[in-house]
Amino acid sequence: MSALRSGPLDTAAALTAVVSTDHGGIALFAGTTRAEPRLREVAAIEYEAHEDLAEVEIQRILDEARDRFGAIVVAEHRVGSVATGEPSVVVAVSAPHRAEAFAACRYLIDEIKDRVPIWKRMHYTDGGTEWIDGTGHRTAGQPTGRG
Amino acid sequence: MPEQITVTVKLFASMKEAAGTGQLEVSLGAGSPAGAVWGHLPDAVQDLGLPKATRYAINQQWTLPGAVLRDGDEVALILPVSGG
Repeated sequence: MSALRSGPLDTAAALTAVVSTDHGGIALFAGTTRAEPRLREVAAIEYEAHEDLAEVEIQRILDEARDRFGAIVVAEHRVGSVATGEPSVVVAVSAPHRAEAFAACRYLIDEIKDRVPIWKRMHYTDGGTEWIDGTGHRTAGQPTGRG
Repeated sequence: MPEQITVTVKLFASMKEAAGTGQLEVSLGAGSPAGAVWGHLPDAVQDLGLPKATRYAINQQWTLPGAVLRDGDEVALILPVSGG
């Protein structure tokens, strides 16, 4: 099943998907876009992926978490524009006990953020944009704080 | 004259924007490594600079910049990621 979604993520469905009568712990992490009004206010974040490679890498990370923690796992990540306050990524896991559930959940989100070829472009309320991809490339706007 | 190969270069994020396209055909000498495509990209892309942590994928498989390209390969420049 595809892990990349162009529409809103359903956190309740992710949680339901990992329910098992063999497992006594469920952990869910949702990463949501921040407005950061005291720095430079964000209107939305646009996510772009190398979709083929991102799908493969997310499935690889899910397999690793299953093997390491004996967990049932799901992960979904948005592509396209995400308004502030909305989830851009959701991971849910169930495991026999809470220690493995927390560990597997942490493993999934950390590895996804570290490895999966997805980039975000900040769209600021002042009209400027900025890719977060190591190049420092940004377009004009009226920066209000961070410069 | 050395034999030439043609590869498809996939660009993302700011590089895609600078190039005005996410996909370019590049011709280079046979035996060239993945990392050599950088020098064949448009000036607008090269002006961004190549972040040290950039990774490469050939035909959707992670690889190293020294991996040798073959004719028809698809090589992706994977800038430092920022999902989540």
